[in-house]
Amino acid sequence: MKTITTSTDAAIATSTQPGSFLTRNVQKMVLPNGLTVLTKQLHDKPVVATMVWYRVGSRNEELGQTGKSHFLEHMLFKGTDRYKKGEIDLVTHLNGGANNAFTWLDFTAYYFTFASDRWQSALEIEASRMRDTTFADDEFVSEKQVVEEELRIGLDGPWEALENEVWATAFRQHPYHWPTVGWLEDLEAASGADMKAYYDKWYHPGNAILVIVGNFETAEAVARVEELFGNIPAGPATAPLRVVEPAQRGEKRLIVKKATPVERLFIGYHAPAVGEPDSYALKVVETLLATGKSSRLYQRLVEKDKSVTKADASYHDHIDPSLFYLQAELQPGFELSNVEGAIYEEIERLKHSEVSSAEMEKVKRQFEASLVIGSEEPLQQAMLLGQYETIAVSEHIPEDSRGFRYLDTLLDRINAVGIQDIARVAQKYLTDSNRTVGYLIDDVEQERDRAA
Amino acid sequence: MQHSQQRASLPKLDVERFELPNGLVVLLSENHSIPSVSINAIVRTGSRYETDDKAGLASLVGELLDAGTTSRTSQEIAETVEETGGHLATFGDYQSSGVVLTLLSKDLSLGLDVSSDLLMNSTFPEEKVAQRIDRRVAQIKARLDVPRTQASDVFNEIVFKGTPMHRPAIGYDDTVKKLTREDVETFYRCQYAPSNAILAIAGDIDKQAVKNRIADGFAEWNRSGQFGTPVVSQARRQTTPIEKFVTVHKEQVNIIIGHVGITRGNPDYYSLLVMDTILGSSPGFTSRIPRILRDEQGLAYSTYSNITASAGLDPGRFIAFIGTAPENLSRAISGLRKEITRIVEEPVTAAELDIAKSYLTGSFVFRFQRNSQIAEFLIEAEVYRLGFDFLEKYPELIRSTTIDDITRVTRKYIDPKNLTTVVVGPVDVIEH
Repeated sequence: MKTITTSTDAAIATSTQPGSFLTRNVQKMVLPNGLTVLTKQLHDKPVVATMVWYRVGSRNEELGQTGKSHFLEHMLFKGTDRYKKGEIDLVTHLNGGANNAFTWLDFTAYYFTFASDRWQSALEIEASRMRDTTFADDEFVSEKQVVEEELRIGLDGPWEALENEVWATAFRQHPYHWPTVGWLEDLEAASGADMKAYYDKWYHPGNAILVIVGNFETAEAVARVEELFGNIPAGPATAPLRVVEPAQRGEKRLIVKKATPVERLFIGYHAPAVGEPDSYALKVVETLLATGKSSRLYQRLVEKDKSVTKADASYHDHIDPSLFYLQAELQPGFELSNVEGAIYEEIERLKHSEVSSAEMEKVKRQFEASLVIGSEEPLQQAMLLGQYETIAVSEHIPEDSRGFRYLDTLLDRINAVGIQDIARVAQKYLTDSNRTVGYLIDDVEQERDRAA
Repeated sequence: MQHSQQRASLPKLDVERFELPNGLVVLLSENHSIPSVSINAIVRTGSRYETDDKAGLASLVGELLDAGTTSRTSQEIAETVEETGGHLATFGDYQSSGVVLTLLSKDLSLGLDVSSDLLMNSTFPEEKVAQRIDRRVAQIKARLDVPRTQASDVFNEIVFKGTPMHRPAIGYDDTVKKLTREDVETFYRCQYAPSNAILAIAGDIDKQAVKNRIADGFAEWNRSGQFGTPVVSQARRQTTPIEKFVTVHKEQVNIIIGHVGITRGNPDYYSLLVMDTILGSSPGFTSRIPRILRDEQGLAYSTYSNITASAGLDPGRFIAFIGTAPENLSRAISGLRKEITRIVEEPVTAAELDIAKSYLTGSFVFRFQRNSQIAEFLIEAEVYRLGFDFLEKYPELIRSTTIDDITRVTRKYIDPKNLTTVVVGPVDVIEH
């Protein structure tokens, strides 16, 4: 019989400020070994979502070894000292749960969702695989084939080839240069020993964030977390990565040829890291340009010019400065250069403050509603809390917005964006010299060669 | 290894159903988890009810619902919804069409107003019809960029030949180009009638208040329609094996093996759901096909099988899918065929049955987490007459399945000797 206690070394802080509905009742503690634990009780659904975030992604990889973070994610399902191969899925399955994982530039994250009377299996599995994953050689070999197939799906996709090329061109020095899945040639050359060394370097409590959201009792959950994770050694300290991509000095352009019936356009602008002051105004620009059928790009390109079948703008939060990017899929018969020109005209309008206050209000409401509607499930909330606890860590971020607290101030900062901020960030970031433009065009020659 | 046995509380849904005098079925489910609401206003029509020469019509009508009404332009419709932060989608599928709206709950009245407007008063302006047809034609072309979609289209053309299911809902280049505004208007007038429609609302609502709003908004909908169910020829299972190889120059070969499946109303649906979980539909890699072909042999990132996933008013399809490198083609095909044969010829083990049942009953709760999921369930329950006590009945439907049931249904519904095999990829450069 275990006594339920809370470690005196663990600092527990309960949110008291109003903040966001997302952070309400979130408790954060850090175990002596460095594991950060975020818990949030939500009793309206009989389920619990459990996530573990490791602050390691393709950003932390080196030339010649790309794709390791993602490959490692696959290996964490292949068994541990305690769970033989297949048993992680089997336990999940038997308990009617779901599990999966994902890797991106800055992080690798794992999740389980279970009904709330059996959710602690997730903790047991995560505690076991944090340090005790087995790297059997034959498992490594077969999983390498699986990852290669995953990469090939991407190569066959209509967008990936173009997107990868634009990022690789825009980032000359920073590891955002390569895609998270890695370069195929690096993947082929990867060894089990490489993978194990990478695991030993990054998978430790001090580099991990455990998030639990749903229908559970905090004291009991925390006691179980301490019991399962408390004895895992803190592990080596990892030096913060300091790689800076210098300012781009002039437009870069590229063409990718691929057999395709539909031409595509991808324009990337260097843009600020998560939590930088200008990032909020650029989020508003993103929504203004591309969220919904009333958005600028839809109204201009789809409705007025009728030159594209779809157009989109995206700007994601990352630890380091990344790209604000625009995509368009062309209506046959239209020219890439004309669509590109029309997009620049829309950007010019922003630079000249051609935005009404009603439009600003609309965009802010869209932003807020999507946050509410996108957080119905405990897992969706765990995703947001874990993501920002993992990436919103830089010193430039104000204390009150660091880690999951980012979500406390997000809406206020969005609401504070004014029309003049839109013009200012458009003038500062959405410029000729700061952009990389990629065209995807049909590879007529390749088709002809094959036919010959 | 622990195995918790069905202790999780079942999801509970408080559902109210009523009909308006014009025949519209209304389904309401109230919960206050978050301040949002989902409205699904659907009409029981779709590409099932169009003819081959008008392929793509139902889907086009569905997409054009927000292209303008007697009182709003397309831009006004988009702005009205998006100003509130809400999200609107309109669609036309195989057997249902209509409007899906997600809104903050304070904007419910506006949501009801917009959905009734689109179902009752769409005007289909000539210019918008022409524009969307052009876009459709481009989208049909773009399907060739996704080999998995292409494989699926080719498979459907073969196994559903002679039935409406053989067509992609989006239609074909040559049929879509010929569609006219009059086709659209006629289809809308005949099919979009209240007695052919279901309105489902789930989320943060006050049922009593919302009832009055619904009566106000939809009572005027008095189109009688002419939607008498057309004669739909039911697909029959093939009696010989069929193979089709399509050359496209991609990194992977995409393979679909299967034949005609079952309807949602089939009494053996639940036994087949358990079978699906054992053979190829588990999340993760517990079921046979992903475990053996992916986890053990490393042949694929994506491989699975199912027969219940596509069950609808008409028989869907039994399929096994794999995407793999060209050099694995023959291993992949023989691997899938072997598992299909084995589940028909050998009884599943008690352990497999137990795991599958445990998964299906334990995971049921996850189908009711979001308001949009609840609204979809309400419609599914109405269309297939599942009863709104389905949530209580479901565990027993699953638990009562026996090994003999699995043997019986696999023999009855899966024929390993007469399968259609479709391969899309660089097949011209490999031997097969």
